[in-house]
Amino acid sequence: MKDRILRLQDTALGELAALAGKDLDAWRVKYLGKKGELSQALRSMGSLSAEERPLVGQVANTVRAELEAAYAIRLAEWEVAKERAQEAEETIDITLPGRTPRVGAEHPLAKIIRRIEDVFVGFGFTVEEGPEVEWDYYNFEALNLPKDHPARDMQDTFYLSEELLMRTHTSPVQARTMEKRRPEWPIRIIVPGRVYRRDDDDATHSHAFTQIEGLVVGQGVRMSDLKGTLLTFARVLFGEDQEIRLRPSFFPFTEPSAEMDIRCIYCGGAGCSTCKHTGWIEVLGCGMVHPRVLEMGGYDPEEVTGFAFGMGVERIAMLLYKIEDIRQFYQNDLRLIRQFAAQAD
Amino acid sequence: MKITWNWLADYVDLSGLTPERVAEDLTAAGIPVETVTPLNHGVSGVVVGRIEAIMAHSQAKRLRICTVDIGKKKASIVTAATNVQEGDVVPVAKVGAKLPEKTIELADFRGVASEGMLCSATELGLDDRFLPKEQAEGIWVLPSDAPIGEDVVTYLGLDDVMLELELTPNRGDCLSLRGVAYEVGAIYSRPVHMPDDQPVIAPDESLPLRVQIKTDRCSAYTAQVVAGLTLGPAPMWMQMRLLAVGMRPISNLVDITNYVMFEWGQPLHAFDYDAIAENGIIVRQADAGEELRTLDSQDRELTEDVIVIADSQKGLGLAGVMGGENSEVTASTRAVVIESALFDPITTRRTSQQLQLRSEASLRFEKGPDREAVLPALRRATALMVKYAGGRVIGEPVVTGADVVNPPELPSIRVRVKRVQDVLGYRLEEAELTAICERLGLAVKRDPESLLVTVPPRRPDLVREEDMMEEFARLAGYDRIPSTTLEGVLSHGGLQPTQRLRRIAKDYLRNQGFDEVWTYSFVSGDSHRLLNLEDDHELAQATRLLNPLSEERVALRTNMLSPLLDVARYNASRQVDALFVFELGAVFVPPSADGGAVQPPLEKKVLAGLAYGAAGSEPLYARRRYDFFDLKGLLEGLFGRLGIASALTYERSLAPYFHYGRAASVRLNGDLVGEMGQLRKSVTNAFDLSSDVYYFQLDFDHLFESVAQRLYVVELPRFPQVERDLAVVVKRTVPVADLLTSVRAAVGDLLVSVSVFDVYTGDHVGDDEKSVALRMVFRAYDRTLTEGEAQSAVDQALARLGVDYGAAIRR
Ligand SMILES: [Zn+2]
Repeated sequence: MKDRILRLQDTALGELAALAGKDLDAWRVKYLGKKGELSQALRSMGSLSAEERPLVGQVANTVRAELEAAYAIRLAEWEVAKERAQEAEETIDITLPGRTPRVGAEHPLAKIIRRIEDVFVGFGFTVEEGPEVEWDYYNFEALNLPKDHPARDMQDTFYLSEELLMRTHTSPVQARTMEKRRPEWPIRIIVPGRVYRRDDDDATHSHAFTQIEGLVVGQGVRMSDLKGTLLTFARVLFGEDQEIRLRPSFFPFTEPSAEMDIRCIYCGGAGCSTCKHTGWIEVLGCGMVHPRVLEMGGYDPEEVTGFAFGMGVERIAMLLYKIEDIRQFYQNDLRLIRQFAAQAD
Repeated sequence: MKITWNWLADYVDLSGLTPERVAEDLTAAGIPVETVTPLNHGVSGVVVGRIEAIMAHSQAKRLRICTVDIGKKKASIVTAATNVQEGDVVPVAKVGAKLPEKTIELADFRGVASEGMLCSATELGLDDRFLPKEQAEGIWVLPSDAPIGEDVVTYLGLDDVMLELELTPNRGDCLSLRGVAYEVGAIYSRPVHMPDDQPVIAPDESLPLRVQIKTDRCSAYTAQVVAGLTLGPAPMWMQMRLLAVGMRPISNLVDITNYVMFEWGQPLHAFDYDAIAENGIIVRQADAGEELRTLDSQDRELTEDVIVIADSQKGLGLAGVMGGENSEVTASTRAVVIESALFDPITTRRTSQQLQLRSEASLRFEKGPDREAVLPALRRATALMVKYAGGRVIGEPVVTGADVVNPPELPSIRVRVKRVQDVLGYRLEEAELTAICERLGLAVKRDPESLLVTVPPRRPDLVREEDMMEEFARLAGYDRIPSTTLEGVLSHGGLQPTQRLRRIAKDYLRNQGFDEVWTYSFVSGDSHRLLNLEDDHELAQATRLLNPLSEERVALRTNMLSPLLDVARYNASRQVDALFVFELGAVFVPPSADGGAVQPPLEKKVLAGLAYGAAGSEPLYARRRYDFFDLKGLLEGLFGRLGIASALTYERSLAPYFHYGRAASVRLNGDLVGEMGQLRKSVTNAFDLSSDVYYFQLDFDHLFESVAQRLYVVELPRFPQVERDLAVVVKRTVPVADLLTSVRAAVGDLLVSVSVFDVYTGDHVGDDEKSVALRMVFRAYDRTLTEGEAQSAVDQALARLGVDYGAAIRR
């Protein structure tokens, strides 16, 4: 009897190894079901002696447990195999492209403006704007450039009428801001905007371009503060180890005036063609606000002083991104613009 | 402004310095030196020689053999030049000589050895732009007194360096060697020596001259009569210096006036004495319409604003700008009048601008030359004419005008030492300030706490204390200014609300796949026509520039459509077949013509975009084309992001550039804030675009007014919502938005939302009908809705749709 049960186990396990799907279910019914072979074998146990019966019963229970365990393992194996087969069926070429949402690019000039705004906002500056069509008064006179002043030649101007013009710089916003805020101080503003000069377009000149202007007015504002502010700015924009150099210059609305150079970002100061072998690159003009400008803005130059600076955004973008022709900013060739889709500065 | 090193050395000691060093230090002091260029471009071994004999070449018709005295030696030189004769003095490149372009070797010309070469000016590396024609072509024939055998580098003064200064407009004083000498003197603490000539008056000769100033725009007029002049070339060194600074040598008399102008910064002019009627010069303002023929043979019509130098009968010249042809000095001139005067800078500037006559003289008059240079310059020119043109000085100079007869007291500037330190941000000690004044040649007196600096008229740019601060700072060196941090009250920085929202809008559009572009603000005068706009259309009334540079850019854009279509055309022609671009910029709406004062156009910040092509980015998936509802969805997403939720309506737009049936104007609370839609084919065709192109433009600042600034949370619902669908059949022409509005009005507070989920046209409805499936969501805030309540809400909606639009429930 015992042998019969053990033979049954061998046969059953032998069959199980190759089975799958409905055959597995049939195997379970055949051997482990209520009417299955194991049950039938046990039913014939009545013919055994009282001593043999528990022994055979024990063997039968062990065999049942083993067969059930083997069944469970086989079933799990088969289900894994089945799922895998299904997935093999569904396999795709994972090297095909993704359905990427299109992400647009930031215009390089917008990118530079945003960076510069963020630097100065961090310094406690607010952002001011003004109109592109400007009165002669704000564009020139309020900035210490009376009519017939020879320095007006520095900026050839598009006129709309005797008194209306396309602003030649963002500096009129200085005058407008002082007029608006007087007698309150401090003023700490940064002014981005489009400006116009009557220049023929070529690789380095554009009849329309972008400036960022800065103005600080307050008590005890020093030229050394101007230098310190610009140094920090230059380091944020052009690199932590940047140095700046101020050179005397002239603007009608500042006195003393200066041009600011940075160490050439290409050769590090060793000299190359970009910096005309001087090791320095001119980046912006600046100075202490001219007392006449403060006076016209409604401030007493004995009470407050100020500094101002202005830079060409295209020039900075050309330096940072190695763009050779200023016209490219307004040509909007998407092959260029698209290169500004990623976050990199 | 160009100067040469050796010329500068005439006035200030340059020993121990190099041109490069001085260039660097001048630049650091605010007189930027752009270039430092040796005048000798590589000439050596070239000497002055005299052609003693010329023989024909037996083997070559076009060649001649010259025997040339090159000092101590003779050379036999073969030349093809035709402009030389026996006796001519010429530059001779000896065997082994170097020229900028070549090295001279012993050469054989058809059996005749040539021991060198006769040179042209160009071959010596001179800039032929300023050379007289007879010198620019052929061998350069030198003056007969040139020393035979001398090295031409020495003779021509080529052993010199040209420095080109890039002057700022305030430093008119440096438009002269004298001014630059003072700068160099200030930098290195070296004194400046200007020539001080005292011409000797010829005895027993008299040519009377009277001068009358009849305008307040001439503050000094001095004149000297010089007789017996021989018109000829100026000495070679003078010609070479003028050439080096970019002046064309003309004749000894003209060159001398130019030379002295460069030296002193004081423009001079020479008149033919005999052209002056009644020996009387009158300085006056022109009569309106008065005519004068200037030296360049142009007839000029003058205005009353112009100052003329005249006699009792006629004009002789435009003061400070250009002389008249009738008084030009010629070979037959018996005597000249040298004029050294001061004219009003603004008048000179206007005259030269009006007549488009910018000259070296007018350039200097515009800056207001130095009254203290007027007489020295006159004496200097007189002395040079005596020395180099054989002239005799006739009588004392005529001196009139307050600035020379009775010059005003020199102004002085009070400089507070502490103020200088406070503004510059570091301690420049009083002793150093005083020293800097002295280096600049400014007299300085000390008060207890301030300095009183006397400013000579050669520095009209020094007016206020701040001007002196710059002098101190630049001569102490800008590199000594420390870097400090702004002190004082805290101020918080930031973007203004509109600026912040602009960034959000731009970020949103970029995240939706739109590239940002920047286009020019100027458009052509007829750009509106390409947009199918009539000339009298509002958008065609662009504000125009008075002085445009080109036909392409004459007017201020009134819309973003044509610039963006240009972007599309540009890229489409470069194989870009899907384009999504936007720009946030200004458009200029002309002021309504009020017939009165000219007002600026209204500058509106608009956000505009253009889109066409496949909706997806990968060709593998991009089967659908961008359409109207992509665009509308884009804008609705933007309004959502900005927080403009309600009261937006879309009405059919009939703008001439839009597709008649696929465009909308966007209204916010009834106000027009933008437009959107598909562009008309005839418009896109004009820009060579073959796809369906979509455009939107939003009046951005207007939108901002409706943007929610603060955020408040709405309490979360506590009771479940109930959804019901309803399909109704209506006329096709009924806008779905109107159905939604009706439903909202009919149901009221219980309605959470109503949306359309299907629109059907076809066999199951009438030809002019459509079926619209609506999904309604109901909820009460205080209870769970019953079936009955939901059903009655649906019934209300249906009833209202039936009344308003004849809608029937679809079976
Ligand atoms: Zn470099």
